[in-house]
Formats: sequence, C-alpha cells, structure tokens
Amino acid sequence: LADLLNMCTTQQLSFVHQFVSPLLKKDPFTSLPDELCLRILSFIDDPQVLARASQVSRRWRDLLSDDVTWKNLCVKHDYGRRLSEVSYGVPSYAPRRPSAVPLSDPEFVNHSFPGAVPTALAGVPSHQPSHSFEGLRSTASSPRPKLRSYKSHFKQRYLVESAWRTGGRNTTRTITQDNRVVTSLHLTPKYIVVALDNARIHIFDREGNALRTLSGHVMGVWAMVPWEDTLVSGGCDRDVRVWDMTTGTCMHTLRGHTSTVRCLKMSDSSTAISGSRDTTLRIWDIRQGVCRNVLVGHQASVRCLEIKGDIVVSGSYDATAKIWSISEGRCLHTLSGHFSQIYAIAFDGHRVITGSLDTSVRVWDAHTGEAIAVLQGHTSLVGQLQLRGNTLVTGGSDGSVRVWSLEKMCPIHRLAAHDNSVTSLQFDDTRVVSGGSDGRVKVWDVKTGHLVRELIAAESVWRVVFEDEKCVAVANRGSRVMMEVWSFSPPEDAY
Amino acid sequence: MSADGNTKIKLQSNDNAFIELDRQVAERSILIKHMLEDLGEAALGQTIPIPNVTEPVLRKVVEWCEHHRNDPPSTADEESDNRKKTTEIEEWDQKFMQVDQEMLFEIILASNYLDIKPLLDVGCKTVANMIKGKSPEEIRKTFNITNDFTPEEEEQIRRENEWAEDR
Repeated sequence: LADLLNMCTTQQLSFVHQFVSPLLKKDPFTSLPDELCLRILSFIDDPQVLARASQVSRRWRDLLSDDVTWKNLCVKHDYGRRLSEVSYGVPSYAPRRPSAVPLSDPEFVNHSFPGAVPTALAGVPSHQPSHSFEGLRSTASSPRPKLRSYKSHFKQRYLVESAWRTGGRNTTRTITQDNRVVTSLHLTPKYIVVALDNARIHIFDREGNALRTLSGHVMGVWAMVPWEDTLVSGGCDRDVRVWDMTTGTCMHTLRGHTSTVRCLKMSDSSTAISGSRDTTLRIWDIRQGVCRNVLVGHQASVRCLEIKGDIVVSGSYDATAKIWSISEGRCLHTLSGHFSQIYAIAFDGHRVITGSLDTSVRVWDAHTGEAIAVLQGHTSLVGQLQLRGNTLVTGGSDGSVRVWSLEKMCPIHRLAAHDNSVTSLQFDDTRVVSGGSDGRVKVWDVKTGHLVRELIAAESVWRVVFEDEKCVAVANRGSRVMMEVWSFSPPEDAY
Repeated sequence: MSADGNTKIKLQSNDNAFIELDRQVAERSILIKHMLEDLGEAALGQTIPIPNVTEPVLRKVVEWCEHHRNDPPSTADEESDNRKKTTEIEEWDQKFMQVDQEMLFEIILASNYLDIKPLLDVGCKTVANMIKGKSPEEIRKTFNITNDFTPEEEEQIRRENEWAEDR
C-alpha cells in the first residue's frame, strides 16, 4: 500500500486524503459508553461549549441533557443549588436569624446583613428576621419553582451572574428634593424602607414604588429595624416607635431613653433592643408597649448592637463592648482593649467582632469574653463590618474594604474601594458590594478581590443593600436624595 | 508485601500478543495492581490476560505507563481537584495522544477498563479539547457526525441554547 501511495501524484493523494480522513473520524459519543462521555464533558466548564455541543446531534443533545454534567458545572461555578445550599455555622443557642441591620448614622452600614436571598431558602437566616421566611419567600420573591433541574438552575444563576457583570435593569426614584442624610435602608421580602434625618420614614414596594410615609418622629430617625410587617424606629427625639407598615399607623411610642437612640435590633417578633447616647440599652416588649429592662453599664454612647438568641452584644464610645443576657438583664462580660470609640459590631453566637476609631478590628470569644485576635491594617475608623461563616469584611473611613479569614486571622483581600469613606458594605458567597462617600457603588468578586463593576456613580452614597437578584442604593445626586433599584433577574420567558 | 519493581509481568492482549513489562509499570493499572496483590506470590511468572484490549492499544497504554512509571499515585482527593482544574495536558502526553480518533477512544476505553485514572483523564481531556471553541457544525466535521435533527428541531434547540451565547 505504501508503494502504491508513493506512486500517486499530489492530486491523487489529496483525493485519497479527502476520502480517507472522514473514515478516520469517529463520534466519541457513539464510540464510548455514557459514563465515559459524561467524564469527557466533566472537563468542560464553559457553558457555551456545552450549549453548542448539545446542538450537534440527537445523541449529543441527549447526553447533554443529563443533569450530572450541569451539576458538575454548578459545582465548578459555585452555583450552590438553593435548596441544598449548606448553611454556615449557626450557633446552637441562637435562633435562626441574622444579626439584622445595624442602624445609626450615615457612616454606618448595614453590615451584618446576610440578606442575599439564596441562603434564606436554605434555612439560613435572611435579613428579614422572620421565622416563616419560607412562606414569605415563595410569595414575595421567588416566583420560580424551587425544585428544578441543575441545567435550569445553572442557566438561571448564569444569567443572574452575567446581569450583575454587565446587565440588569434599574429604576431611579427621587426620595426628597433637598439634601438630606439617609440614615438607614432595609430591603425585606416585602418592602424597601428608607429612614432620613428629616424625621421621615419612607416605605416602598420591592420595585421601588412608594407605598406610604411614616410620620410621627419629630427629629431625625437614626435607627430602625423591620420584622415582617412591623417596623421599630428611633432617633434624636429619644422615642422608640413601633409601626404597622401595612397601614402606616404608629402602634406604640415607647419613652425612656434620655438621649438619641443610636441603634436598634430585634431578637424575636415581640422584643426590640435599643441602644442610646444616654449610655443604656433598653429591652422593649413591642406588643405590650412596655420597657422590660434597662441594661446599665456603659460609660458613653451605645453606638452599635447585635443579637443572637438570648445574648445581646453592644459597642460603645467608652471603647468597650459588653455581652449581656437578655433574659437576666445583666452584663456577662466586658470586652476591653480598644483605645477609642467602637463604631461597629458583629456577632455570630461564638465570636464578637468590633471595629473602632483606633483603626483596629478585634475578635473576641463570646463565651469567655477573652480577646482572640487584633486585625490591623485599616488606617482610619472602621465603621462597617459583616461576618459570615469564617469570612469577615470590613470597611473604613480610609476608603478601603478588607476581606479577612477568621480561620487564619489574616487578610485575604485589600480593596482600594473608594476615594473617601466606605459608607456601606455587604457581602455574600459571591460578591462584596460597597458604597462610598465618593458617590460610587462598586461590586467586587469576593473570591478574587477583583472589581466586577461600578454600578452607580452619584455624589455621595448613603447606603446600599443587595440580595441575590436585586440591589438597592440611596445616594445624593444633584442635591436630591435618589434611590436606585437594580434587578438582575432573568426575564420570565427564559423559563 | 514487598513489591519489587523489577519483577517482570507478562500481559496477553485479546489478539494473543504477549507484552512483557516491569511490575512497577504494570501496577500503574489499579486493576492489575489489585490482581497481583490478590494472587500474591502465585502471580509471579504468570501471564495476565487482558481480554478487552488489542495489541496496538495495549502497547500504547504500556508506553504511557513506562513514561509515567515514577509518578506518585493519585489520591481520590487529587482527582476531584484535577477535575476542577483546567484541561491542561503536559507536553509529552499531548504528543502521546496525537493518534487517530479510533486509537484515542480505544485508549480511553482501555484505561477505563484497566483503571488507570490519569491516562483516562488525559484521554478525556484530549477529546474535551477537540470539542471546545467549535460551532456545532465544526464539531460535526471534527468527528464526522451526521446532523440528524430536522430543521424544526435544530431551530428549537438553537433557541433553547441561545442564553449561553449571550455574554
């Protein structure tokens, strides 16, 4: 045969080549058993390649509709399936609720705010401190069926992720026509709630349509916390008010504090805890409308607090943090070490994290009250922190955002986030969203630390919160307070 | 038991060819390794039949095992790690895999049967790389596949997969 081919002209050889080469080709997916075909596909992590491959032939289409491939892809892309998403360690003595949103002055942020939606479905607390979030979710924010194939799950997450990178739809609303300070912002399964220093609280639906305004406070509102349809608020007029957000009526006006209410949290549907410039914390029964206890001990303004189960932790301008038992109404530990005011606190049931004007972040053992670590790096006030599993994200007046590992007690990423103070930050398994007084809202990849996108450019960003498929920011623009609502949901017809 | 790497093992392909190789090389195959362990001393000097593999393929597989005789054994963990990683293939393996498709698929089948995971993965990665970056028509050409969709089906499946093109 070799002799024969040697005698051929180039033309003849070219003919032979054309004739022979298809014969040497073979469809791998008809030559190999399914299990090996799927193994081959497991080495492909680009969905575009898989999507194109499924258009080759019926055999290829059938193979590619096998969910194993898409399950692998979900794993590779870290698209945890919603219902099977692993919850991060929720402490045993804590109820399943997040440290809700700290409220206070504009430098403060919705830090401990694991409000991202998917975790909520997994039984991890959403920021909405509802124990019945399952039901709320399904009606309010999850119109799609919860159980679906990995392929459609992948597709959905893929489309959401690409919308975060380059797409999304946004609407802008004017909240006030004058330059005001927005003191807090909440995104719940039903509402967007905005509080301002002009004593007003505005309630919107999740698309940003105005529902009602809560009027009653006579001075700036500096702290608030939503719980389903209830809202508890406080501020310069020293009153704590309990509102029904469905009607806008004020159900209780709770008096007792002798100075500005700086922070508010709820531990269950009838218990709110407020911290005040008068150095005390007050535990309120908001159903009865009575003060159940006053926690006395701090020497200066109580600036931030966080609740898990029967434990409330508070950070104060007296440079200490305190761990209190709610039921006993007494201080269990005083955390001393900071050299100046504490502005931010996070608590997961085991560890307390504090951020201070002394530029350090400290990690404490909540059971013993002992210091575990001092995280150095910020060069100015640390006003924002969020703790999630073993990851801590901090933001400071130095404009930087830092991602820390609490396993190694070391920094993972240092993001030069903003030209000015970081006014707001939140993160989930995928991203960090930060807002700054430089007017920018930036989206970062939490794993790589890379900037994904600059979402908003305004004059000054007061607050930003996000969920899986939604992001809300309030900012000053053109001497107005504006709210931008971004949606990253794929169009419904994609299903 | 002490595995003397220089002990010779004889394999018999399904077309009755005999291939002699060092035991250490043969034990790149987990199937053979377990077989030898089960047989113990009795294995020495025996011929091991490999009924599913023809001589040319078996020679190719043995060539790979010779080259990789000193590779550390892969653990289960490593394996899952590797799969997460890219489809990079080392240069020698790339050259080794420059064979016709029939042979490539035979090597994949043989390495699967003989339980040589690293070789199986090199084979699978090679095929995966032949798929990547191609349009459906280019894939068909690469593997001489007939498009058996009706035009309607083709249009429908194109629309179903449009989402992945949009980036």
